[in-house]
Amino acid sequence: MSGIQPSLQRSTIDVAGLPTTVFGPRDIMWWGTLGFLVIEGTTLFICVAAYFFLWRNEATWPPEHTLRPSLFWPTVHVLFLAASNLLARQLSKAAHALDEHRTRRWLLVLAAVAAVSLALRWQDFLALNARWDTNAYGSIVWLTVGLHATLIAAELGELCLMYALLASERREERHLADASDVAFYWYGLTLFWVPLYVMIYLGPRLLR
Amino acid sequence: MTTQAVRPGSTATAPDEAEVRAALDASWGRPVGLLGWISTVDHKDVARRYLVTAFVFFILGGLDAALMRIQLARPENRFLTPDQYNQLFTVHGTTMMFLFAVPVMTAMGLYFVPLMIGARNVSFPRLNNYGYWVYLIGGVLLYVSLFVNSAPDTGWFSYVPLAGPGYTPGKRADIYAQTVTFTEISALITAVEIIVTVFKHRAPGMTLNRIPLFVWAMLVTSFMILFAMPWVATASLFLAADRLIATHFFNPAEGGDPMLWQHLFWFFGHPEVYIIFIPALGMISSILATFTRREVFGYPVMVLSLVATGFLGFGLWVHHMFATGIPQLGQSYFTAASAMIAIPSGVQIFCWIATLWVGRPRWTVPMLYATAFVVLFLIGGLSGVMVASVPFDLQVHDTYFVVAHLHYVLLGGAVFPLFGAFYYWFPKITGRMLDERLGRWQFGLFFAGVNLTFFPMHYLGLHGMPRRVYTYLLESGWGDLNLLATAGAVTIAASVLLFILNVVRALRAGPLAGNDPWGGETLEWLAESPPRPYNFAFQPVVQGRAALWSRTPDAPVVVGLRTDMREVLVTTVMDAAPDNRHRHPDPDRMPFVAALATGVLFISLVFTPWGLPVGALLLAVPMILWGWPNEEDNEKQRRQERETVT
Repeated sequence: MSGIQPSLQRSTIDVAGLPTTVFGPRDIMWWGTLGFLVIEGTTLFICVAAYFFLWRNEATWPPEHTLRPSLFWPTVHVLFLAASNLLARQLSKAAHALDEHRTRRWLLVLAAVAAVSLALRWQDFLALNARWDTNAYGSIVWLTVGLHATLIAAELGELCLMYALLASERREERHLADASDVAFYWYGLTLFWVPLYVMIYLGPRLLR
Repeated sequence: MTTQAVRPGSTATAPDEAEVRAALDASWGRPVGLLGWISTVDHKDVARRYLVTAFVFFILGGLDAALMRIQLARPENRFLTPDQYNQLFTVHGTTMMFLFAVPVMTAMGLYFVPLMIGARNVSFPRLNNYGYWVYLIGGVLLYVSLFVNSAPDTGWFSYVPLAGPGYTPGKRADIYAQTVTFTEISALITAVEIIVTVFKHRAPGMTLNRIPLFVWAMLVTSFMILFAMPWVATASLFLAADRLIATHFFNPAEGGDPMLWQHLFWFFGHPEVYIIFIPALGMISSILATFTRREVFGYPVMVLSLVATGFLGFGLWVHHMFATGIPQLGQSYFTAASAMIAIPSGVQIFCWIATLWVGRPRWTVPMLYATAFVVLFLIGGLSGVMVASVPFDLQVHDTYFVVAHLHYVLLGGAVFPLFGAFYYWFPKITGRMLDERLGRWQFGLFFAGVNLTFFPMHYLGLHGMPRRVYTYLLESGWGDLNLLATAGAVTIAASVLLFILNVVRALRAGPLAGNDPWGGETLEWLAESPPRPYNFAFQPVVQGRAALWSRTPDAPVVVGLRTDMREVLVTTVMDAAPDNRHRHPDPDRMPFVAALATGVLFISLVFTPWGLPVGALLLAVPMILWGWPNEEDNEKQRRQERETVT
């Protein structure tokens, strides 16, 4: 209690012994992260709703004269993202163990994963075989893939920032909880992509 | 379990209050000067700015309406051109819905939720500040476009294909799309703030079943914002993309569908009404409890009604689209769902009547507004039940009957409670009392003005006067009722002027309010008026649902938080048991800089798609600096300042 001396008789609840580094739902940053995942998840869900709404208007899907999306690179990418959750789990474990060194290492690994994912995302765009201005089908698939790409790009930035922070003299124990929230966000980000992959790349094969 | 670390001392020694206050004043104070002003993290500073800005937009939106009423005062008037009229009704609707109603309601939440739950601040105060600046930029964009004769002109719901590239060339619809984006970002931020603050910062003892009804209302509203606002944000993104990079979301020639816009818009648009209305319900409950000296009757039913309204609000959107050829099963479902929402609303009205019945009402200005709300909302609700019926709706669709209905609902259901809330909470925000006599006059003029303006519109609508048409023929016979409506608009303007006069007088020389001028039941009345940046020197411990009325003289307080830096208590979601201490951010100018970069990003997207990469790079810089801890620098600076003083 830095400098303040007790001097009054009063009924009190003393919270000085409570911790300052907590993880998961005990941490307010976790709730903030969850809030933004809900907003982003809702936005991607709206893209799904729009996709099926537009599909109703067409006799074939994709519409005539539009190629079906290719499967190889998008499938590699979705498997890569799903597997990356094992790495995110390691990051979370290291942060929970308050192990700065390991946390930094896994942050760097996950940043590399995000960078590779962005490169694979370029292949995802090419695999659509339609441009955003080809037709409404092209518009919705491009925009959905693009929206998810911006989330990965932002996450790459956050991973780098978090690594730099934990490597700097400004680091404090509480920043490890933030690193664990980054892993939590990664779970959400990658899990969103699985149904989107199914819809965008397998959908035209299943919906014909 | 960390709660074991809490030591509930029965009558343990507490630090000296004056000493604690001095320490907190130093650690929670705002830096001086313009830089300090823009970098505030105090929820009350940000909420006050929202309130003032939203009120300015209310005046501007009101002026738009006044110009339209002058134009319509007589048949075949030439006061406005059709193009000016189109811009004015679009900007009026966009202002009132996006720049006034939602921000003013969430601002009341941002100001009073932390105080009512005994917290020191909102959870993410820098994000809160960012949200305000983004909102301001969005509003300024809309009004700059109006003053340069380039404002949106396709209605506040901006239907395609009218708003698409084929029928609205130029930049007007793009400005609409980006204004919407700015305000949605701001609203979503506020929603996350309020949810996390209510979940994690309630004072010890404020279990879920002790949360004040206004806080419940704001919590339900915030959840609605979270799930509703992304729909319009995505819709406006689709619209901007169709116009800017030639996508085809709404272009039927290439597989797009204009109905997609209507579904996306109204899936947001109907919950939007409840996002505006539910906080007002919370305000009514606060006012009634205080001025009847009774806890609101039927607390559990009231809470369940709020939650039920929140859920049902998402099941009604298609009733805005009955004229578009909905399958009959859909029509029946949405008619039934629309009528069903009357149930939770009715339950709440009965609970309030019961509260009045068992209490001893004091007929102050806030109470007058609360009572008028019931009357006006009933009228708006009844015409709502009428338009929920498909055959009737098809008859009055796009007529003044709907204009009358929506203004009774929004003015009666939201603006009346809001004025009541202003009178009720003004002493807390400013430390001074508003004048009751002027307030009664203002209330009387407002009540008369609203009814004079909007009641005749029911008749005009039933007689076929269409909305959004800049004039009408003499032979239509609509002139007299339109003149009456314009006289009503003048009365409303006089009332608003009286309100401004009352506020200015009170700020200059109003009687001092003290902490609790009304004898309120909730914790905001425990804080000073206006509250200090940290709200409470010692956080209170809540002993009952009516936090102040159930408070015993020896009520315990929280001690043990650091006073030499900003630290807040985090409690558990269900029981509000103390759980951990959180290092709270210091003032930071980066949210302001980030908001400017966001402004560059979205405004440049009106003109070029390259705005996206350039704006994103520009935004990355302040975001990185924002994420970098600055507390150490601040502490060093404060230490130096203290040394200089000593």
